[in-house]
Amino acid sequence: MSEDRAVNRRDFLGAVTWAIGALLGAGLGIPAVAYIVGPALRRQEVQEWIALGSSAKVELGTPTLFKAKVERTSGWIVEQRELSVYVLTDNGRDFLAMSNICTHLGCRVRWIADQEQFFCPCHNGVFAKDGTVLAGPPPRPLDRYEVKLEGGTVFILGG
Amino acid sequence: MAARLGSWLDERLGWRRVWEAIFLRRVPKVNWLYTLGSATLFVTVNQIVTGILLTIYYVPTPDQAYETVRYISTQVPAGWLIRGLHHWGASAMVVLTALHMLRVILHGAYKYPREVTWLTGVGLLLIVLGFGFTGYLLPWDQKAYWATTVGTRIAEVTPLVGRWILLLMRGGEELTGVTLARFYGVHVWALPATLMMLLLAHLYLVVRIGISAAPTRGD
Repeated sequence: MSEDRAVNRRDFLGAVTWAIGALLGAGLGIPAVAYIVGPALRRQEVQEWIALGSSAKVELGTPTLFKAKVERTSGWIVEQRELSVYVLTDNGRDFLAMSNICTHLGCRVRWIADQEQFFCPCHNGVFAKDGTVLAGPPPRPLDRYEVKLEGGTVFILGG
Repeated sequence: MAARLGSWLDERLGWRRVWEAIFLRRVPKVNWLYTLGSATLFVTVNQIVTGILLTIYYVPTPDQAYETVRYISTQVPAGWLIRGLHHWGASAMVVLTALHMLRVILHGAYKYPREVTWLTGVGLLLIVLGFGFTGYLLPWDQKAYWATTVGTRIAEVTPLVGRWILLLMRGGEELTGVTLARFYGVHVWALPATLMMLLLAHLYLVVRIGISAAPTRGD
């Protein structure tokens, strides 16, 4: 008597159908999740030394703006981007390189020579000569780059 | 718990009757050839899912289309799989649709009272071919470019209106970025919308009228 069996044919086939469906769903679902989140989890590319320019251009005691072209790959697009960096030295030997991007919301800061301060026009963030926050909403000092001097050229480590 | 939730929903939605009508309906004694329609439906779902996933990275412009397809195939995790499923699924869809139609012809299943089911099916076949034709251009490689060049020239041979069809398809005299963009629009918006409407009508009729039994000697 088929009714006495624990599992009859109809229920068994039903269960098998659901199982195959679940298998196919997982088979496509797991790769689909990897496919969607893949680029989001991709690590930043390796950093490299970027030449900014001659160290002779840096005035003693005044942050000097340098611009460097870097190649960035975002997804399938390779593009040139401009990196703006303030370089500061007090003695011509030790150099400090700071990003000109405000740590608040990413606007560009400007060096105001007669006030001896960096000023961000977006929300009135003010930074000191060495990048520390003096006033306004920025949560931390200007980001610094690792610097090296080679043959009179200032290099920063970036990516 | 699940059973209680099911009953709660059923009281409000009446989904059990719908479920029974679709999945527990009585069918005549049939053979494996009768699964070709379901197989086509399965591949259709595959095409929809993988197609939506491909649009996340694909960009239909002449300067980026090929790069994005290469990016999908070589850089994105499982991108080769998603694109492969869509690529081979497309061929499978055409083959399965044609076989499904052959079975219906050979069994005479298009006759009364299933004429409308048949007609929506013919519409669906044309849409599947439209998907294949428009999708073929999208990788924007040499094969895609020349296949569409030839394909639109074939359309041009149509008496009287051929020239207009070619201009309409290409969006101008030449095959350009304009062509790529409109093929993409047709492939991801116009055709899917039409497919959904016809497919729902087709499936509704299959459930409503039921499928025909395999013909026997004397039919």
